Amino acid sequence: SRGSRRYNVPLCSRSSRPHRRPLVFTYRSAGATAEKPKSGFAAAFELHSDLQQHGRRRQIPDVRVVRSFASLLRHSPLVQMGPAKDKVVVGKIFHIVQDDLYIDFGAKFHCVCKRPAVDGDRYQRGVRVRLRLLDVELTARFLGSNTDTTLLEADAVLLGLMDSREATPKEKERDQ
Amino acid sequence: MAAGAFLKALSGLNCPRLLPVLASRLSNRGYVNGQLYSTAAVAQTMTSSDSLSGNNKVLTEPLKHPDFFHLSELFSLKDLFEARVHLGHKKGCRHRLMEPYLFGCRLEQDIIDLDQTMELLQQALNFTAHVAYRGGVILFVSRRRQFCHLVECTAQDCGEYAHTRYWRGGLLTNAPIQYGPGVRLPDLIIFLSTLNNVFQQHVAIRDAAKMNIPTVGVVDSNCNPSLVTFPIPGNDDSPSSVELYCKLFKMTINRAKDKRKQMNLLYGVKGSSS
Repeated sequence: SRGSRRYNVPLCSRSSRPHRRPLVFTYRSAGATAEKPKSGFAAAFELHSDLQQHGRRRQIPDVRVVRSFASLLRHSPLVQMGPAKDKVVVGKIFHIVQDDLYIDFGAKFHCVCKRPAVDGDRYQRGVRVRLRLLDVELTARFLGSNTDTTLLEADAVLLGLMDSREATPKEKERDQ
Repeated sequence: MAAGAFLKALSGLNCPRLLPVLASRLSNRGYVNGQLYSTAAVAQTMTSSDSLSGNNKVLTEPLKHPDFFHLSELFSLKDLFEARVHLGHKKGCRHRLMEPYLFGCRLEQDIIDLDQTMELLQQALNFTAHVAYRGGVILFVSRRRQFCHLVECTAQDCGEYAHTRYWRGGLLTNAPIQYGPGVRLPDLIIFLSTLNNVFQQHVAIRDAAKMNIPTVGVVDSNCNPSLVTFPIPGNDDSPSSVELYCKLFKMTINRAKDKRKQMNLLYGVKGSSS
């Protein structure tokens, strides 16, 4: 009963049942310093609730913690993808000019692909497609210039429509 | 003699309105009671200009706070990151003067340091807000055809001006001839992209510096930030980042103008909003 009053959880709870707890876990620090070390069921319960908290904390996105730029960058899909050569990504068509499809896949630039002969009419604005990337930005240094000339475009090969079948390619399109 | 010294001391202060009033009063009196009269004249002009002090309160109150318009709540690091503001061009396109603003280079693509961008964006938005608060004319300039409609709509929504077409030679430097005498030049120019269509620096940056017009500009890793008064290092090529900038500038300017109306009502100054 002492355990239940402190932790607000019924004594008969098991590990398999999900606990409904608020995100603020301040009661633990208040209790730990004032009491003698727990034994028996109380110790086991405390250990178990620790594991539960750690597991749950990873599942729930913690909106209160401000992540640093370095951490955001390191875990971003663009960096996790690595070199762009021959990576399969998902893009979305945002503009169409007759047979040219302008596809945005989450990088700095979009890519422009020709409408394929197969299922050509299904490629409309807002459709998600699969691409094989070749380069994130098309640049080249020409003779006589100090800096590279950039085409302000990425380079990719259109593989086909995004169907709900097989191994998901690296999802780079962020849902906003 | 005392009056002359007093006037000289006053001219050191920046109150042009008081000087002619005091000069006329002091010249009417004699020099016998010069000092007494001068102090009495000051006391009278200070208390009689109530409308003047109200006007000054409206103008000086925002300058006492570092973030009077609470612009830091408009954006966060996560918003900038999700709008892809940190992505720069390839290493070969890099401008040497942008190197202090870069976080690093990953697989030949420059990454812009968003911590610096946050501070510089805050300063730029704060300056824009103060200019809009004081009724300044703001001009949006961008030569990216992909975003020219967006920039023009943004300018229209906040009641300011935009120039997203070919920039003729003397628009700022030769304005009285090209537009007519007595034309008012912009008080702030905001560049959503500092390059023109052939990847050279936009002429308006140099011309604004010549005409003493402050500039706020989004500088990508291939731009020259040196002449821009408030550079904002960031991506200027992705639609998501340009939409974010336009949204922030629009909200800033509208907030500043609303605040001005509110302050005018608060301090009871009528008909002074421009």
